[in-house]
Amino acid sequence: MIKITDLEKFYRTEEVETIALNKLSMEINTGEFVAIMGPSGCGKSTLLNILGMLDDPDGGSYMFNGAEIAHFTERKRANLRKHNLGFVFQSFNLIDELTVFENVELPLIYTKVPAKERLSRVEAVLEKMQIMHRRNHYPQQLSGGQQQRVAIARAVVNNPKLILADEPTGNLDSSNGNDVMELLTDLNEQGTTIIMVTHSEHDARYSHRIIRLLDGQTVLENILI
Amino acid sequence: MFRNYLKIAWRNLMRHKGYSAINIAGLTVGIAACLLIYIVVQYETSFNKQNKNYRNIYHIVTQSVQGNDVSYTPGITVPAVPALRTDLPEATIAAMDVSYGSQITIPAGSGHADKKFIEHSGVVFIEPQYFDLFDSEWIAGNKAVLAEPNMVVIDKSTAIKYFGDWQHAEGKFLKMDNLIDLKIAGVIEDVVSNSDFPFKVLVSYVTLKNYPNNYNYSDEWGSNSSNHQVMLLMPPGESIESVNARLKVFSKKHYTFDIRGTFNFLQPLSDLHFDTRFGNTTGDHITSKATLFTLSFIGVLIIIMASINFINLTTAQSVGRSKEVGIRKVLGSSRKQLVFQLLGETTMIVVTSGFLALIVAKLALPYLENISSVPKTMGLLSAGSVLFLISTLISVVVLSGIYPALILSGFKPVLAIKNKITAASIGGVPLRRGLVVAQFAISQLLIIGTLVALNQMNFVNSADLGFNSSAVLVIPGYTDSLSLQKMGQFKQQQLQKPQVKSVSFISDAPSSDNNWASNFYFDQAPDDVDFTVFLKAGDADYFKTFGLQFVAGGGYAPSDTINQMVVNETLIKKLGIKNPKAALGKTLRIGGRGVWAPIVGVVKDFKTNSLREEVKPIIIAPGKRVLSLAAIKIQTGSLTQTVAEIQKLWEKTYPEYAYNGYFVDERIAQFYKQENQLALIYKLFAGVAIFISCLGLYGLVSFMAVQRTKEVGIRKVLGASVGSIVYLFSKEFLILLSISFLIAMPIGWYMMNGWLQSFVYRIDLGAGVFLAAILLSVFIAGLTFGYKAITTALVNPIKSLRSE
Repeated sequence: MIKITDLEKFYRTEEVETIALNKLSMEINTGEFVAIMGPSGCGKSTLLNILGMLDDPDGGSYMFNGAEIAHFTERKRANLRKHNLGFVFQSFNLIDELTVFENVELPLIYTKVPAKERLSRVEAVLEKMQIMHRRNHYPQQLSGGQQQRVAIARAVVNNPKLILADEPTGNLDSSNGNDVMELLTDLNEQGTTIIMVTHSEHDARYSHRIIRLLDGQTVLENILI
Repeated sequence: MFRNYLKIAWRNLMRHKGYSAINIAGLTVGIAACLLIYIVVQYETSFNKQNKNYRNIYHIVTQSVQGNDVSYTPGITVPAVPALRTDLPEATIAAMDVSYGSQITIPAGSGHADKKFIEHSGVVFIEPQYFDLFDSEWIAGNKAVLAEPNMVVIDKSTAIKYFGDWQHAEGKFLKMDNLIDLKIAGVIEDVVSNSDFPFKVLVSYVTLKNYPNNYNYSDEWGSNSSNHQVMLLMPPGESIESVNARLKVFSKKHYTFDIRGTFNFLQPLSDLHFDTRFGNTTGDHITSKATLFTLSFIGVLIIIMASINFINLTTAQSVGRSKEVGIRKVLGSSRKQLVFQLLGETTMIVVTSGFLALIVAKLALPYLENISSVPKTMGLLSAGSVLFLISTLISVVVLSGIYPALILSGFKPVLAIKNKITAASIGGVPLRRGLVVAQFAISQLLIIGTLVALNQMNFVNSADLGFNSSAVLVIPGYTDSLSLQKMGQFKQQQLQKPQVKSVSFISDAPSSDNNWASNFYFDQAPDDVDFTVFLKAGDADYFKTFGLQFVAGGGYAPSDTINQMVVNETLIKKLGIKNPKAALGKTLRIGGRGVWAPIVGVVKDFKTNSLREEVKPIIIAPGKRVLSLAAIKIQTGSLTQTVAEIQKLWEKTYPEYAYNGYFVDERIAQFYKQENQLALIYKLFAGVAIFISCLGLYGLVSFMAVQRTKEVGIRKVLGASVGSIVYLFSKEFLILLSISFLIAMPIGWYMMNGWLQSFVYRIDLGAGVFLAAILLSVFIAGLTFGYKAITTALVNPIKSLRSE
């Protein structure tokens, strides 16, 4: 599904140049659950942003489903993103002014799904995430675990082929964290490819494969199954 | 999707109630002010347009050149009317003679008191052809009745006023000025308010010929009264230039007798309402285009200021919204969709403000007549005002919405969702500063305008006129032989009252907007002098009543005819006499047919007209026949009671006349109605501008305070004093304020200096006004942000650091 080759990313200030990704190469197949680990500043989030088409690489190639993304325009990437990718963030990133229902509905609005169908799909996914009873609440009225369920519901409502999760349990207690990991595992078993950045060895064990980064390079790969 | 936009727009408004209130308040006041300005400008520019012949109607006016004096009068001589009909056969010509104050008496029948009405305007002697030019709706009768003498047509409201209803008015009689019996031969619908021809009592023109002395009607080519005016309808396609060329030939042919350089020319009806060269118009007022331009300019400035507030607050706030924008982008929103969403929010705020502005304007509308001539009954909603409101709302949305929308939608999603967007990183700080400077500059410009206008009007209103105008009551009377006979008796009876200091019968107060001008002869010379002299008549007590001071000689002895004269300093200076005493004993003759009379006194110059004009050369002389006003100097103190007593005596002495007294100083204040209104407009809109810019400033400072909470906390932990924190907040604004002053000062000087040029007597535009303007704006800005800056500086640093 994903093939990156010699991917590079630099951050420059006036005086210092930091290398975030240093000729990084990897391949991720459809249906995989991959965890990316490494110390702070090793390039995990940068990699996830580039894989999520939120950021441009400075060099190298990024093939998604056989298409070279590096040359895509902003609009084309936005289009590809909204139909194929779902995001889960450590800080949930729900829109405070919208209710649970409306937050989950948003990706369907952007992909122009008719209102009637939106209702049934959002309700189905809220049921699945066991958060239906909170559909009319605002994010601030929910616990962290509930907020992350909403975020996951929002990430999957469009049936994306790939979910990118950036430390999805980082802001949760262990019980809620385990629930979230179970949810992601279920989704993976139903066929969704998942790439997850995490600091937690415990969480990483839910994946099929762990890629460890240091200074923008792969240092180790553990195959877990 | 649209619903989603609306929803989030509404919730955003609710979440940031403070900023929303500031935005909405600023826009509401701005839009309401603009709407009111539009109504005034629209009203003034709509004058006379309701006539279907609007484009082809002209006013024939007169220009006179004597030496260096060029003067204009809306009047034209009486014999010119038939001559014009001969020389311009294709034109339809209508003559009229306007009365600026007539008494209408409705006979009540035996045993009842007659009803008396004073009509200050709207009474006119008029030819039936007038109705071929101007549209009018006849309810009873037709224009042909005005071809007969002693016929009158009145409008519906006047009919109701005189008789209780209009249906039975036709065929009844009324008396004009206790002189002319008139039969009501027709009733017309009321003339609309935006007409310069608001006639309500229209007397047949032929009637005038029977009363030449009472209405200054003269069939000589050399006599021209500004009351006698002529309107003309040209067939379509006739160019104004060719008619003017023919009028030049016409003038040369006819104006030969002792008048040099008199020409008639056409004033298009479309110019009539704005031509300030002509004082006496038939309508209520005229408006200079400059005033309308100033008003429109102020309106545009105010809308710009409100939009600037919006841009500043929205871009400043955009930092807080970066996360939402980031998430939307991650979830697949395109930039275009975001721009539309944000513009939708702007539209919501602007439309809300538009509705509120309508309410504010509706409430303010009845007060509009204080600053303009718009009638109280003027409606707020018309096709024009709705269109104007909609286009204003659209411009405001575009002006204030586009920039913040582009900024916000341009955020990089990666940075945005991680809250890495800061005020500095979004850029636009120079722009925001620029906008604040623009806002301050506009406020200061209006403050300068206000201060200059108020100072000048204060100067004008309290200027030394050179005579004593306070507590002089003037009662207009009439010059029929019976009234003239009663003069002496009335005067003696009034003088018996201890509160009455002096009584004089006069033709005109020392300072007035009446001009009675003539050519004159000096020192037995055969040729007349090459400048015009202005005349005032009064009995021997004129000088005492108005406190005029003599520089040589004294007043004349009581006389019914002109046998002695008093002149002012300007007249003898213009004649080249340096020592006033040298003028005593020299003789003067007014006009070609006057008598020679010696100068017995020279009075110190007094202001003969408004302070817009130079002091004119004046002759004051006796002449009982024209003394139509009684001037009564009263001891200040029990004014109201004394006036009531005087009125009682007046009504007893002249039972056939309605009492219509006024104080001279009140009438003088009327000279400056337009200027006082302009000063009021400046004051009002400067207030609006200051209010809007204060709102914006307060919003910005509040925002800065939130942004810099952590910085303030750290600084305080490190030992910063409250003063230094306040300074931190104020420094930038003081710099911006100074820059804006450098912009506003020269523009303000240029504009207000131009305005002051319209006054011959004016204040000096010194540094004081500008100093006051900057101090005032610093003071107001200081009040606005001082409170917020101090409260921010006083917050316990532990609190501010923890909240981060």
